Amino acid sequence: MAIQPILKYPHPVLKKMAHKVERLDTTIKNLLQDLLDTMKAGSGSVGVAAPQIGVSLKVCVIDVSTSKHGKDNNHGLLCMVNPEIISASGRRAVMREGCMSMPDYTGDVERDTDIKVRFLDGQTGKEREIPATGFEAVAIQHELDHLDGILFIDRVVNISTDLFRRKKYV
Amino acid sequence: MPHSELTHYAVSVVGSDKHGIVAGIAGALYRLGCNIADSSSAMLAGEFAMILIISHRKPFNKSMLLEELKPVCESLDMTLSVRHLPSGEEHRADTEGEICQITVYGADQPGIVYRITSRLALSQINIMSLQTKLAGTDEEPVYIMLMEAMLPDSLTPESLEELLKGLKEELQVEIEVRVVTPVEL
Repeated sequence: MAIQPILKYPHPVLKKMAHKVERLDTTIKNLLQDLLDTMKAGSGSVGVAAPQIGVSLKVCVIDVSTSKHGKDNNHGLLCMVNPEIISASGRRAVMREGCMSMPDYTGDVERDTDIKVRFLDGQTGKEREIPATGFEAVAIQHELDHLDGILFIDRVVNISTDLFRRKKYV
Repeated sequence: MPHSELTHYAVSVVGSDKHGIVAGIAGALYRLGCNIADSSSAMLAGEFAMILIISHRKPFNKSMLLEELKPVCESLDMTLSVRHLPSGEEHRADTEGEICQITVYGADQPGIVYRITSRLALSQINIMSLQTKLAGTDEEPVYIMLMEAMLPDSLTPESLEELLKGLKEELQVEIEVRVVTPVEL
């Protein structure tokens, strides 16, 4: 398979809700391989979602094990088909994110710190459920957002405005 | 459009806050056919301040820019300053080091900004953004500094905290260092 070019916003596919995968067939296996090749080719990239290479399907690959933020806390390579977050602890934290589909821009995004995600494992073909925390949880939420047509810029918070906002005490 | 065909200016506009400042400036730039590249605006006390990096296709010059902006600024009672950027200055230099958010706060006293920033400068730490705010009450004013700074390769966030420890005790302020280097996803 092959490294695919990463689509950049404003490509319309990035803002579309991706379709659910019906069967884990050769097409999907090939798609997973393309995503994997593309992720490995992107310097420092820890995840790629199918819409980023122009395929509007609920498929993504994630691997934070090579990044300094995730090397001590990860599930290795995750090949996710039809993933969904089934629970979150409610605790949230802010991290400054960047995305290959929106070059030259970074912003602070608040996300859940502890999540549980269910997906069809593209490597084994079996249904899987894993808890994720820390950077891996952030990466999963970022990639799953791509499958819903959401970019990190849709979630950017501005810390300084919050810090200096004058409250009205009644 | 290739970058070499563009000429860049830094424009700043400051004055007492009122409705229509941004629209007035943006309108003048639009009529001139200027692009607003990076910009940042803020309200400081009752003053509104805008800093913009703008570009225009060559040939274009400062007097053309002033001709359109001056009357707008005069009608809004704003102070205008325009600087032409020499070629190469329109881009931020490539940055490699760890980016830290440094928060400093404590009872207001003379020299907080000077003491902290001169210590950073001495260690080749580059301040990328800085906001300060005098908060608290008239009786007990609190000074807050919020900075983002790029560390040189030789410095870790931990060693930066260590470096500021002496000042923290001397000035009796809280100093918090948090890494905010972006993660590429």
